[in-house]
Amino acid sequence: MPAQNSAAVQERGGRMVGKSVGFERTRRITGYLVGTLERFNNAKRAEEKDRVKHGA
Amino acid sequence: MPATIIKRDGTPVAFDATKILNAITKANKAVEGEPMTPTDLLFVTEKVCAKLDARALSHVEEIQDVVEETLIQYDYAKTAKAYILYRAEHAKLRNAESWLMDVYKKLTYAPAASEDLKRENANIDGDTAMGTMLKYGSEGAKFFIDNYVLPKDISAAHQNGDIHIHDKDFYMLTETCCQIDLIPLFKNGFSTGHGHLREPNSIESYSALACIAIQANQNEMHGGQSSPNFDYAMAQGVAKTYAKEYKKAFAAYMQIRGELTDGETASLTKAILDALPMRPRMAEAKAFGCALAALDYARLIPEETPPCGRAAQGQADQDANWEPDDFPKPRRAQMPPAAIRELAIAAHAYAASHAQKSTNRRTYQAMEAFIHNLNTMNSRAGAQVPFSSVNYGTDTSAEGRMAIRNLLLATEAGLGNGETSIFPVQIFKVKSGVNYNPEDPNYDLFKLAMRVSAKRLFPNFSFIDAPFNLAYYHPGDYNTEVAYMGCRTRVLGNVYDPARQVTCGRGNLSFTSLNLPRLGIEAKGDIARFYELLDAMIDLVFRQLLHRFKIQCAKKVRNYPFLMGEGIWLDSGALDRDDRIENVLRHGTLTIGFIGLAETLKALSGRHHGESEEAQKLGLEIIGHIRRRADQKSEETGLNFSVIATPAEGLSGRFVAVDRRRYGVLPGVTDRDYYTNSFHVPVYYPIKAFRKIQIEAPYHALTNAGHITYVELDGDVCGNPEAFETIIRYMHDQGVGYGSVNHPLDRDPICGYVGVIHDVCPRCGRREGEAVSVEKLKELKKIYPDVPDWE
Repeated sequence: MPAQNSAAVQERGGRMVGKSVGFERTRRITGYLVGTLERFNNAKRAEEKDRVKHGA
Repeated sequence: MPATIIKRDGTPVAFDATKILNAITKANKAVEGEPMTPTDLLFVTEKVCAKLDARALSHVEEIQDVVEETLIQYDYAKTAKAYILYRAEHAKLRNAESWLMDVYKKLTYAPAASEDLKRENANIDGDTAMGTMLKYGSEGAKFFIDNYVLPKDISAAHQNGDIHIHDKDFYMLTETCCQIDLIPLFKNGFSTGHGHLREPNSIESYSALACIAIQANQNEMHGGQSSPNFDYAMAQGVAKTYAKEYKKAFAAYMQIRGELTDGETASLTKAILDALPMRPRMAEAKAFGCALAALDYARLIPEETPPCGRAAQGQADQDANWEPDDFPKPRRAQMPPAAIRELAIAAHAYAASHAQKSTNRRTYQAMEAFIHNLNTMNSRAGAQVPFSSVNYGTDTSAEGRMAIRNLLLATEAGLGNGETSIFPVQIFKVKSGVNYNPEDPNYDLFKLAMRVSAKRLFPNFSFIDAPFNLAYYHPGDYNTEVAYMGCRTRVLGNVYDPARQVTCGRGNLSFTSLNLPRLGIEAKGDIARFYELLDAMIDLVFRQLLHRFKIQCAKKVRNYPFLMGEGIWLDSGALDRDDRIENVLRHGTLTIGFIGLAETLKALSGRHHGESEEAQKLGLEIIGHIRRRADQKSEETGLNFSVIATPAEGLSGRFVAVDRRRYGVLPGVTDRDYYTNSFHVPVYYPIKAFRKIQIEAPYHALTNAGHITYVELDGDVCGNPEAFETIIRYMHDQGVGYGSVNHPLDRDPICGYVGVIHDVCPRCGRREGEAVSVEKLKELKKIYPDVPDWE
């Protein structure tokens, strides 16, 4: 439970960082890379979600 | 008459009969053979007012109806017609305005997160001022092109989703992209239009000017910019840096060990280095040392040469300008030639080793700066960074190799906080005999490229050995090596000028894509019908490409002060400022693209090319047919009509949305939010990597304007260098032109972890959005030095 964790740490006097900071997910569209999925248009988001891995 | 009238937006304003009078007067003046005197005009106006009273009308549309009716009633037919046209035209403009204003409202008030229109292109941040400003311009331009420029049927075909005219907002302005040869550009320097830059003389300047060239050209074209021979170009900067470092180190050694004055050092070093038949070069350090040892030092240094140090300065030394440098030192003339020779040989050993190391260090920093600059110069419209690409891998010179290695190492290290760099797109050119086989001179760099790609997604790999690329290749001539734009665009063949089937100074002029799945749906399983529809649509696209080409041809060199004015585009150097660019543009490509071959095959035969051999056969026939049509058109026009596997981004969702509205949800065709990219096997379809490559490779040969094949790997396979190499080699052997491996690349900006992150960061254990204690990060930093500093 994140809230409890952070409360526990704060009780011990520790400073917390990272609240509401997301992970960066770099993906390729058309050949270019894009630093974050948030900028993908709806269709490309749907496509990225559908991508399956190809076993070697 | 009414006291007030009601405007279209519902607001009341005071009635003014002169407005009616003016409108009738204007309409009457617009026609011939029906003159109305002022009395006539007043008469009609009064009749209109009387009718308004009688019928108690006050809405502006009603008033206009009465004006029409009255003009007709009193036999002013021509004036009435002019009035009706005037009314229609204004109605159209009002509609236009309200349509466009709706778009502007969305752009202005909706956040990008909720408005797809603002995320059409992922490189534009639609929430920023310049991102929004770009969209205002772009949407306004598209409206203008649709309504005032395009032939009606072509405009309709675009709007209803039969075709997609890419970069339509730039229709009246420029071309897509260019492969920039930096080598001739740097020679004697160049001008960006705002200032002249001297020829660069160090690797730092080479890398800085490369960014500037890409940036300057970017602002004159609407697509990407690429350096096709980055290694060859940077090698020259490396060589200049090495020569300077060598001379500096050589002189320093001579001065310190020979205890010479500044002047003596300068003249002696110059005398020795000038007497040699060669310049210091990285790969020739040994030969240089031999030549140095073989010099006749007795002849080189005449006894009577006065030192240019103290003696020449005379009295000046005795005043306040006294420097520690001026301590009495042994004059070099007193040194026997044998001692000078010995000194020079020792100086060479030091200089060669020092120059090598320091040039390498400077090259790394220059490559690092190059990447940082290209990720941070928000200088393209909309505060975007330029869409940049660099191709490299085949220069086997020591200098070229140093540039490649350091670019790769800087890419592997990542940006300031270890982030993956998004630009430039990097393309490693694979060629047997150069870097493909273990015995090849650049095989080590190929290996390094794969290691970096497995971590950073770049470089991608292009294959000169693919038959359609190899056909143009002449060993040792970079201009005949295929180069790609990051997005996948390629140019090499040239029907306009078969003597110039080269890469540099060329690019795509414009491209337009077919909605292939729609033709598949419309054909209802009838293949002959499909080809009829396809041919008609290809005809339309060719007509549209030529319509745009004509507009492009009317431009002059001064419209492109950098691209054409600096001679970057092939043959443009020979033109004057006011010359039309028509003839040089003919080196470029006019391109037809397509999306959704998989959905087309589903619609036609029930299965896509990943699922069935027959579908694959049909798929190759369809794309082969488009290619044949392009080749025929090339022959007929002498222009480079070509076929591209469209790099659809905005388009991926547009066609399918229209088609689903029109045809409903068709399984395997319109049931997802996107059409599959070009000839790709659908991303959702489970298939082995090798099989996917095998299926897609033959389409590379057909799509002469560009193509790419991706394989999606999970983190484990990717972390296995042998597996990674096997896949790249398989692409090479199957005749793929351009390919890459995708793998999830996530990063936690809090603890700096780079790799796959599912729900929980494997390093610091936080979930997305959760906080973690600084204490814990400090502990982690002891194990992982790349944890960012949070204090």
